[in-house]
Amino acid sequence: MRPLTKGETHILFTKLANYTGTSLNSLISPLDNAPGSDRFVFRLHKDRVFYVLLSIANLATSVSRDKLLSLGVCLGKFTKSGKFRLHITSLPILAEHARYKVWVKPNGEMPFLYGGNIVKAHVGRTMADCPEHQGVVVFNMNNTPLGFGVTARSTTETKHLDPTGIVCFRQADCGEYLRDEDALFASG
Amino acid sequence: MAPSRTRTVKNKHAAKKISNSKEASRKPIQDGIVKKKRKVGGAPATASSKGRPGLVDSLLKRKKRTYSEKELGIPQLNMITPVGVVKPPGKKKGKEFVDDRESMATIMSIVQAEKNSDIESKVMKARQMEEIREARRVEAETKEDQRQARLNETKDSLRKKRRRNKSGKQGNVDDDGDESMKDIMSTSAKAAKAKKKVSFA
Repeated sequence: MRPLTKGETHILFTKLANYTGTSLNSLISPLDNAPGSDRFVFRLHKDRVFYVLLSIANLATSVSRDKLLSLGVCLGKFTKSGKFRLHITSLPILAEHARYKVWVKPNGEMPFLYGGNIVKAHVGRTMADCPEHQGVVVFNMNNTPLGFGVTARSTTETKHLDPTGIVCFRQADCGEYLRDEDALFASG
Repeated sequence: MAPSRTRTVKNKHAAKKISNSKEASRKPIQDGIVKKKRKVGGAPATASSKGRPGLVDSLLKRKKRTYSEKELGIPQLNMITPVGVVKPPGKKKGKEFVDDRESMATIMSIVQAEKNSDIESKVMKARQMEEIREARRVEAETKEDQRQARLNETKDSLRKKRRRNKSGKQGNVDDDGDESMKDIMSTSAKAAKAKKKVSFA
């Protein structure tokens, strides 16, 4: 387990900034203004990045590397080619700081949670001025985050789309907790 | 090839005795191989002689000190030094971690500035494209309206003509009847001409 390098931090923040707005700064701000107060840090363990309190990360150093499975919130993992892939476990953080949101109707929840893309007929509400290929966080009509994806078309283009046309490509959904249970937490 | 001959020693003890003797120590046993003796080079006779050529010789023969490239400090020319191989002295070895808040905030601000400009440009482009699409749509609509209006005009004109013809029929049957017949003929001929045929040989 180690802190991220400059390049890794840049890649991670670029990925997070796809989905989040300016409030992302609060991710790295200290919990209170007192000097030496606890704060959240990013830690790389094997190929996974964890968002964890500094005090917990320091405690975790007492656990041997091969025995340590997870700590804090797993944001995602670095691929072998050096890109970063966000995991569904990062959804609470993304949902909190989301820049663009899409709300799906109750009849569109299950298709999305089973790994499908979002079609226009299932969109309950969307945000104005959302460009094409922009990261969005998907909510149900009760404002519960279900996953995240990438818009297939801009908001204006979506208006002229037929009901079966894809509005948002799925990237991750809560169904992965069941579908990818084996791979989600087992690293390396 | 001819087989090599082996030497037979007839009296081993006699040979040993010879080796122990003083003469043997002076003269090494020769195995038939005669090595050319090198003269151990001391100072040549000319070295002892005084004068300019002797000095030059002695200077030449003195062992020169060899300097390594580092000691000379010669700039390395015509050599490819890959990026990242030569590191400035005093720099940290290995990975440089970013763990303090300030450097992370710097990276984050850079990333967000990039992302904002990207999104802005995307939105601007989408708006421009939408404007272009809207303009095209409006243009197409106006063209369609004009076409429709022209069609209606021709329809109206035809209707008026027919009405006039009908009213004319009632007034003077002979002249108008001929004209109407001509009209019908001409229109039917036009229709026949207008009808396209496709034939396959």
